Amino acid sequence: MENITLTSSPTTPYFPEVIFDASKGVCEISGESYMEETYKFYLPLINWLKEYTKEVNKPVELNIKLIYLNTSSTKCVLDMLEILKDYEDAGGKVKVNWYYDKSDPDMVDEVEDFEAESGVKIELIEFN
Amino acid sequence: MTSKTILSYKGPFYIELISVFGMNIRNLKDEYNNARKKLFKIFIELCQNVSNYSEDFHMVNHVQRIGVGELILQELEDSYKFTTTNQVKNTDAKILAERCELVNASDPLKLRELKREQRLNSPGEKFGARIGLIQAVMLSKNKLEYKNEEIDKDYSYFSLTIKIDKN
Repeated sequence: MENITLTSSPTTPYFPEVIFDASKGVCEISGESYMEETYKFYLPLINWLKEYTKEVNKPVELNIKLIYLNTSSTKCVLDMLEILKDYEDAGGKVKVNWYYDKSDPDMVDEVEDFEAESGVKIELIEFN
Repeated sequence: MTSKTILSYKGPFYIELISVFGMNIRNLKDEYNNARKKLFKIFIELCQNVSNYSEDFHMVNHVQRIGVGELILQELEDSYKFTTTNQVKNTDAKILAERCELVNASDPLKLRELKREQRLNSPGEKFGARIGLIQAVMLSKNKLEYKNEEIDKDYSYFSLTIKIDKN
């Protein structure tokens, strides 16, 4: 299974940086996410997780380090969390870490909502 | 201070432009750090509503639809006031007004419940999460003001204003 690596650029700060590493089972999304046609951007990531959880069948860790994500992006992140929840329910090992800036309390509320909506436990970790 | 216009724009809401405007908002005065964070989030959300849903739009390369509208950001003594205006169908104006009323009538707990419910039930894809207005009110803790100005029997200009307190 191939990795996904998308680098960020200062000229397009609305796209996050993405590293989905199939050999390690570690996925990371960082930066900001408020692009147009959000679903087109996230669809390959959603499909990657579906394939990984179906075919690789090893532990998976999702690290989210987004400073800002618009509401369309939140829907796509929720889709990913739902895939992980299904995987966990089927016996898969899942870890989700959400890195946040402690000066942004609204992000903590957002993560609580994601936990409630997806049913996945999310570890909140302060940015260093 | 009565009010000072920080930003005013009329035209297509390209993401490149929204992003540059957003960066300027982030660089506003340091002392209102939390207000700036909220303002940035609300700014992006409401601008993308114009970009995605305005009935007046440009087509880029025959595929990508970029909505046309207006925005104005003002600084008042104790708050920022942000307004967007765009063209909507008269039938949609009615739905939007009802949505604003529902959001305004909801307390914080109810808003959170609405947000979770709408996001879970949104079909996703091009429809997004359909929680932009809820999110704006949850962040600002102020009500939405809206105004509808009919252009003709089919279309209106719909304006949305939200206040973000500095402290």
